[in-house]
Amino acid sequence: MLANVFTKTTQDWWKGMTIAVATLGAFFLFGMAVYRDIDLSIYDQMPEALRTMFGIPAGADVASLAYGAIYSSYGALTIAAVVLVLGAASIAGEEREGTLGLLLGNPRSRTYVLASKAAALVLITVFGALVLWVVGRITPTLLGTDITGIQVEALILHIAVNALFYGFLAMAIGAWTGSRGLASGVTAGVMALSFVAVGLLPLVESLESLVKAFPWYYYNGSNPTLNGVDRGHLAVLFAGIAIFAAAAVIGVNRRDLKGQTVGVTMIDRLRANPMTQNVADRLAGSARVSSIWTKTISEHQALVFITASLMFLVMGVMIGPMYNALDEALISLTDSLPESLLALFGGGDFGTPEGWYQLETFSLMAPIATIAVAAIIGGRAVAGEEANRTMGLLLANPTRRSTVVYQKTIAMVLAAATVGFALFAGVVAGSLLGGLGMNVGNIAAACLLATLIGLAFGALALALSAGTGRVAVAIYGAVAVALVFYLLNAFIPLSARIAGWARVSPFYYYLGSDPLANGMHWGHGAVLTVLAVVLIGLSVVLFQRRDLRQSG
Amino acid sequence: MTTTIAIHTEGLTKHYGDVKALIDLDLDVRTGEVFGFLGPNGAGKTTMIRTILDEIRPTAGRASILGMDSHEQSVEIRNHIGYLPGDLSMYPNLTGRDTLTYFANLRGGVDWGYVDHLAERLDADLSKKVGDLSSGNRQKVGLIQAFMNRPDLLVMDEPSSGLDPLIQREFQAMMREVAGEGRTVFLSSHTLSEVQRVADRVGIIRHGYLIALEAVAALRSKAIRRVDLFFDKDVDETVFVGLPGVRDVESQNHHVVLSFDGQMETLLKVATERYSLIDITTQEADLEEIFLTYYRDSDVTA
Repeated sequence: MLANVFTKTTQDWWKGMTIAVATLGAFFLFGMAVYRDIDLSIYDQMPEALRTMFGIPAGADVASLAYGAIYSSYGALTIAAVVLVLGAASIAGEEREGTLGLLLGNPRSRTYVLASKAAALVLITVFGALVLWVVGRITPTLLGTDITGIQVEALILHIAVNALFYGFLAMAIGAWTGSRGLASGVTAGVMALSFVAVGLLPLVESLESLVKAFPWYYYNGSNPTLNGVDRGHLAVLFAGIAIFAAAAVIGVNRRDLKGQTVGVTMIDRLRANPMTQNVADRLAGSARVSSIWTKTISEHQALVFITASLMFLVMGVMIGPMYNALDEALISLTDSLPESLLALFGGGDFGTPEGWYQLETFSLMAPIATIAVAAIIGGRAVAGEEANRTMGLLLANPTRRSTVVYQKTIAMVLAAATVGFALFAGVVAGSLLGGLGMNVGNIAAACLLATLIGLAFGALALALSAGTGRVAVAIYGAVAVALVFYLLNAFIPLSARIAGWARVSPFYYYLGSDPLANGMHWGHGAVLTVLAVVLIGLSVVLFQRRDLRQSG
Repeated sequence: MTTTIAIHTEGLTKHYGDVKALIDLDLDVRTGEVFGFLGPNGAGKTTMIRTILDEIRPTAGRASILGMDSHEQSVEIRNHIGYLPGDLSMYPNLTGRDTLTYFANLRGGVDWGYVDHLAERLDADLSKKVGDLSSGNRQKVGLIQAFMNRPDLLVMDEPSSGLDPLIQREFQAMMREVAGEGRTVFLSSHTLSEVQRVADRVGIIRHGYLIALEAVAALRSKAIRRVDLFFDKDVDETVFVGLPGVRDVESQNHHVVLSFDGQMETLLKVATERYSLIDITTQEADLEEIFLTYYRDSDVTA
């Protein structure tokens, strides 16, 4: 039913959330089942402080760790990411599609449209939270797990409010600027940075109080899984939501709506200036359009530049010196932990610089960065030109379809390699700054493997893009598959019975050989490379066989 | 080009699932002509173009362009064609000149003097970003893109949309010049008047079927008109029924409307013989009326 903007938006949006919570729910079930297999002696060995840190209440089964491991980290991130994407799309998305003008041709105010979108955002979030809640309640009963002391409702309430915080932030930026890319990019940046900061800062005594400056702290700083709802923290998030909502109303009402019009960039100004015209023309004009791959790179330059800079500075350079500031007590604590439990948190330990970098940089953030960059470029490669209805024009030139795929692949490889190299340079610098003395060759190996894992999933996105011609299917499909394999690789080894199955996950070939400690494992590198090459070959075959889509 | 046939299709058929967009199309477009491809919206014009350009693949049948197979030799074919898609979209953040440079690079170069000449004729601004142009001005960039490598065959899908009348006229002259040089233009349109002005022959497509293929001169001789007759009092419209060339007579109060393609003298005689005729207006029938009138018999229900 399309009675109004609210119902239409809800109908457009529910699928993404359903897929996200269904995946999370399945993994929750899987994770809790795997945890039952873990040797219970781990639990007894754990000091009380660590138990609290990892979110296991006294008296509960180890299996209740699933709440902390799956819901409170991956779950919160995933739900927030979905809501963020929808929030960014709400005004800026319709503007980009050119449908906002049409919508406002009806006797409805901008505020009405915005309010409808906001209501749909809230409803979708509540729906996602409800599914998580039902799964979170039913699973322990099914598996006979004792979850005494786990505050399921409190955790889920925190997850939902946290997600809305980022959703409304993205909506406000979209409403002010009309740029969906800017809205989702900035918000995702804020979220990622704040997630990392909240994980990192408490480990260093002198920096601990800074953590309150990051919004993620108000989601899990109070550890709602164990301590229940923290009204004060939720109030902070709600205040943020209210401010963003108000900002969105003001933003969307005060500015000109965008058509297809694009903003004036720095390079445009340089091209207009007679003094810089020649150089700028060469940069922005002739070089950019000299071939399909240069044009593709130039379309994604902001994405590549920002991601590479973040990896260099934050995940590379800054992590090194922090190692020296680590709480000694914490290091000795983690030294006492059993291997299998450490594996759960990324396989590194605080005891060595390599383990520290593995835990903070390589286990999660590095593959997120390379996969995101490669999957976005790969996913847009073919389908993006179809969605923008430029593919027909492009292929009116004497260019093979296979050439289009290969040229876009070149752009994807260069972009992923740029991120990988920035990470390498950052980690080397961080190691030097912190005087950690890490092996440069091993760092290079880990960064190469990070690039390759990104390319493997980028190639999957490319194959989906070439096969279906749908951008959303390609990007979200590849990211969803990556998430599934990531979690498989993280959780399967916990159960000795099925540990061998981790090899089915590409992530096993990324850090499975512990490259930071052992250097390059060429066999594993080859597996990832072959996977990428096969998927790229498949892309060509799929694209050559099908009809071009006339629109997105 | 040694061949005298620019586009040749045999039993070309395209289904989208259950929807039959193009059915058993046999068509020859000769080199050196402007061929008008006429049909109402959704008739299958764009499907036909996308099929012969290898954007989509036929369900059955085959097509060749300039003697080459449309699928097997599609890359070679595209060395010889210029294409303007309907509902044109380009890269909004590139200027017109950037856009043309991009496509020129993919073609291995272009005569920039000719590009500037085209831009001047169409009054196109190539320094602005495509995204900042109005749809008509964007269309001009698309036209230059199609014309710039002096293709042997120009395929254009609704090319005049958004162009103002002055530019339309210039564009029509450009099409005639192309044909004059022995090159070929395939022009898809739903505007009869445009096709009449510029085309040598027309094919008319409806519900996926090619229902007529005629020289424009012949079509013009069939030029059906809608005639409105205004009288000083109510008239018996049956006096007009059965007159040669008269169809679809309707009357309301003092006003009679009919479709007419006969001798005006006969009609006027009947109209003035028994009644007092106050006013008469005639106008060119729209395409749909021509279809309904002339091609009713060949209307294969789809």
